[in-house]
Amino acid sequence: MNERGFSLKRRLLVTLLATISIVWLAAAAYSYFDSRHEISELLDAHLAQSASLIVSQTGDGLAEIDLEHAPQLHERGRRVAFQIWEQGKVLRMHSVNAPQQRLSARDDGFSDAVVDGKGWRVFSAWDGGRRYLVQVGERDETRREIAAAVAANLLVPLVLALPALGLFAWLSIVRTFAPLSHVSRELQERRPDNLAPLSTGGVPLEVAPLVASLNALFARVVRLIENERRFTADAAHELRTPLAALKTQAQVALDATADVERRHALDNVVAGCNRAARLVEQMLTLSRLEPDQFRGRSEPFDLPALARQTIAELAPGALAKGIDIEFEEGGSVALKGYPDLIGILMRNLIDNAVRYSDRGSTVHVRATTIDGNAELTVTDQGPGIPAPERAKVGQRFYRVLGTGESGSGLGLSIVNRIAELHGAKVSLGEAAQGRGLEVRILFPAHA
Amino acid sequence: MRILLVEDDALLGDGLQAGLAQQGFAVDWTRDGVAAQLAIESADYSAIVLDLGLPRLSGLAILQRLRAAGNAVPVLILTARDAVEDRVKGLDAGADDYMVKPFDLHELSARLRALIRRSRGKAEPRLRIAGIELDPAARQVSFKGKPLELSAREFALLHQLMLNAGRVLSREQLSERLYAWGDEIESNAIDVHIHHLRRKLAPQLIQTVRGVGYLMPRQEHE
Repeated sequence: MNERGFSLKRRLLVTLLATISIVWLAAAAYSYFDSRHEISELLDAHLAQSASLIVSQTGDGLAEIDLEHAPQLHERGRRVAFQIWEQGKVLRMHSVNAPQQRLSARDDGFSDAVVDGKGWRVFSAWDGGRRYLVQVGERDETRREIAAAVAANLLVPLVLALPALGLFAWLSIVRTFAPLSHVSRELQERRPDNLAPLSTGGVPLEVAPLVASLNALFARVVRLIENERRFTADAAHELRTPLAALKTQAQVALDATADVERRHALDNVVAGCNRAARLVEQMLTLSRLEPDQFRGRSEPFDLPALARQTIAELAPGALAKGIDIEFEEGGSVALKGYPDLIGILMRNLIDNAVRYSDRGSTVHVRATTIDGNAELTVTDQGPGIPAPERAKVGQRFYRVLGTGESGSGLGLSIVNRIAELHGAKVSLGEAAQGRGLEVRILFPAHA
Repeated sequence: MRILLVEDDALLGDGLQAGLAQQGFAVDWTRDGVAAQLAIESADYSAIVLDLGLPRLSGLAILQRLRAAGNAVPVLILTARDAVEDRVKGLDAGADDYMVKPFDLHELSARLRALIRRSRGKAEPRLRIAGIELDPAARQVSFKGKPLELSAREFALLHQLMLNAGRVLSREQLSERLYAWGDEIESNAIDVHIHHLRRKLAPQLIQTVRGVGYLMPRQEHE
């Protein structure tokens, strides 16, 4: 297939007409050769018949003739010539169109000869007394003309019928392709924002899979756009409160008369910027993890090593808040996935745990193996999440109200997405001590 | 002018409390619906600034209970929800105004002043009684055409007296309307401020009703 593509209709038409022409030409060629053979036999019979008639007419009368030119009775008589030779040597009688020399050297039966550069079919016969040799000849040319006329009779209709055939074939092709043209017209005339499925009614079997695939594609695009739109709307909505806080604090700072007041407001402006930045960061992280957009390369990773690394990063901040992070390791399982994302997952979990912990409490991180699967648990001693809310916290921007913390509401959404990409299972529960949240992530070993 | 701020976001609440205080309001700030409910029952507010997404009790529920109880205090909804149906729902539930975050602090204050003014049946933003002219937005007072220097508390006190001209206000009512939670109040603070006001204006403009409180007589011809 070349790059510009081709027309099925044109290809079908050309193939159809070429096939018809070839078959027809083959038939004409066969007729030509077949009729030439049949005509030869027929004309040979005529030659033999003519010769025998002439032989039966030869008699003593010929002896008195010096040389007689037989009259030509009909214009077509020109095609057949005869000669009568006495003893095969002296020409006694001949038709007007016969040459002066012998038509054929043979003196018996059929032969092909060339006289004066012209081909002849000749029948030779002796009379009863072997005195006179009769030669009846016919020009080869004549025979070919007859066969050619027969073949031509076959070709003429083809030449006349081909355009008509082409026209009918084209009409029927157009009719056959109408459903396809209909689909393509429907697509062409669509507004770009029209993603409604194409109608499947009256679509032929051959086109149905195409329409079905297109509809599936439309559905996917609709889902993607809807997702995108919702995310943008959610994001804009979620940025409103941090922005309102920033603006208010900035206005307070502008209007402040006391340094302490201004300083407090400006500190809050900085804190608000940090919070907005974190929110934007989290939103970007989440949008990159959208199922239709994520393109990453899977590679092996070591869960306990990643956990240690993440804890090392987060420990200083936690210690500053008076919170301890404890790590417990119990065996390692070979896992495959996206180590960067696992790092993000752990950071979110541990960060959340630290965020909702009280001063003096401990966040417990454990990477173990259970039945050959890897498990990561992060446990805090914070307020936990009431059972009815646990299912909701994974939703985008859902926040447990009244916690006094201003998280992005995206942390667990991110954790859920990353776990999903690894085929891992996330479960929220109560910590063993009956206080705090325990997040458990079970990675299947072969992932 | 004491108002109740109900906002669960720490940074925004802090900013609003400081900003509205700068604009001359005494602000009580609660961070959840139940606390807001308690505050409404325990104090007399000039206006309420209400967020909708609140822990424990939603802003709309607070509003509905408030109106069901016959409380006509002006309520301004302050929320991130900007859809028309949200605004309609909020206003129909009994809110007097609706602002979408992010908003302008000065516009919020102006709207609050307008709400409070209208709730007292006054269209003219400036108050004029017996030669005193008080402009709540500009926070300026003049007496007989001459500008007057007042402290923030004195201004708030005069504002209250003028808004309630013809009515006796008790010391408790006055201090409740002037001071937010956590403000330090001397037991005779109101008396001291009244004394200062009388000195700066004219003694007879603020009358004492012994054992009850203070009164600024309404001047019908003005």
